[in-house]
Amino acid sequence: MELWLDGNAIAGLLADALGEDVTATERHCPHCGDDWALGAYRAYRGAGMVLRCPGCGTPGLRVVETVEGFSVAWGADPAR
Amino acid sequence: MAGAALLERLTVARAPVVWRLARVRAVEEAAEAAVTIVLDVDDWPGHAAGQHVDVRLTAEDGYQAQRSYSIASAPEDPGLALTVERIDDGEVSPYLAGELREGDEFELRGPVGGHFTWRVQDGGPLLLVAGGSGFVPLRAMLRHRAAQGSDVDSRLLVSARGWEHVLYRDELSSFGDVHVHVTLTREQPPGWSGSARRVDAEMLRELGPGPEERPRVFVCGPTAFVERAADLLVELGHHPAAIHAERFGPTGR
Amino acid sequence: MPPISRGFGGRPRREVDPSRVPPGQYVVEDFPVLSAGPTPRTPLEQWSLTIDGAVDEARTWTWDQLRELPAKTFTTDIHCVTKWSKLGTTWTGVSLDTLLEEVETEAEYLTVWCDGDYTTNLTIEDVSDGKAWIAYDFDGEPLDPEHGGPARLLVPHLYLWKSAKWIRGISFTPVDEPGFWEAAGYHNHGDPWREQRYWND
Repeated sequence: MELWLDGNAIAGLLADALGEDVTATERHCPHCGDDWALGAYRAYRGAGMVLRCPGCGTPGLRVVETVEGFSVAWGADPAR
Repeated sequence: MAGAALLERLTVARAPVVWRLARVRAVEEAAEAAVTIVLDVDDWPGHAAGQHVDVRLTAEDGYQAQRSYSIASAPEDPGLALTVERIDDGEVSPYLAGELREGDEFELRGPVGGHFTWRVQDGGPLLLVAGGSGFVPLRAMLRHRAAQGSDVDSRLLVSARGWEHVLYRDELSSFGDVHVHVTLTREQPPGWSGSARRVDAEMLRELGPGPEERPRVFVCGPTAFVERAADLLVELGHHPAAIHAERFGPTGR
Repeated sequence: MPPISRGFGGRPRREVDPSRVPPGQYVVEDFPVLSAGPTPRTPLEQWSLTIDGAVDEARTWTWDQLRELPAKTFTTDIHCVTKWSKLGTTWTGVSLDTLLEEVETEAEYLTVWCDGDYTTNLTIEDVSDGKAWIAYDFDGEPLDPEHGGPARLLVPHLYLWKSAKWIRGISFTPVDEPGFWEAAGYHNHGDPWREQRYWND
């Protein structure tokens, strides 16, 4: 059983985290060079949500829902 | 530590999303073990057919559960409608499709989902492929089409386990000049003239339209159904980017 | 307080000893599967566990070598930052102390890395003295891949995101390097009893 849904399925969460409905917005994946709508990204539910590029699987976005709001980290390695 | 390390600018339309109070106006049967809930929602901003909402329930001890449901009503319909199928060992659906009654309240967030929407001005032809409760957002699209008096070439394929499970059975003939094909995969009533098997290439080819007509394709339902249907459509020559897919998965919060 | 949904109670929840439930958690009977990415499937003959980084000499164990190490079956409670707790879970595995005996290090910090791209960071204090395990059986059966099999790290005194699934290595580091979720907004330490969920808790 696959563990992911497409980004549409978490459109509400993304809208809360980013302030607007972003599912139709395209993001350029710096890892594989392809552009995909965020609604087409693969959303994995771990401790937080991870949106992975549907082409190469690299994380494009991590969203953590905190008490006060959201922590959003773009890219594959937000710490560096 | 938190926040964006890489700055990526996105240009999107403004659509602020907040939790609103929804009050149940009516609960109607949609199929065996499924109900359509008609709601009045404070300050509802309107929606596009295909979008969904998040529903949040709060128990008396503060425990909360949240699920997403596709909007079943057209933007032109009075009241916002959701169709919920009762999953026996579910946590939320037995409540919404069993206990909920007129006057009850819960929170609702939306509408969301700009990727899986169809407006009459988007044009056609339209090919809609529904697996089980995946019919819900597609029904909203067809109601919108009818409300706008559109005659866009539209074809609908509905797959369900049995006739009692087909949502909106009584509406199928009311969509006007929409070509509807139903396939019942497990049980068929006597004299059944539709298909009696899982969706396959032949069924899709027969329904059409072909890829040369460049239809807008919307596929919705359980993940396995959507993957299979999308693969079949691609094999028939439809471009992957022309296929909008919405997968219903078991990841409630 | 949000509006109450009349008649909604969620799943029936059994009575538990509240002293076993950290603040803000609720007890579940099932074992939710949460994952930051697709389930890796490394064949056992290719599997290895390596301890390297700021150590005198790196050490690697093959699957067979891991299974030859002294192991224990024990029962513990686990707590996920998404608020569910599962009490009385039974695991079989090798204490990390057993592996750490084979390396020498002065470093205080370590990064756990896994099949897939998951990482998490810990202190040596948090994984010593019986606090951490390489677990390969759950409830007497080989650990399911969706729960981290063939082997996962288990650090039950911290939130479960620190119990890295599909562990393949531990790299000791001179400085603390936030892992996959720590860099995205979760707490650097993650003690459920002090409710250290988020970065600013």
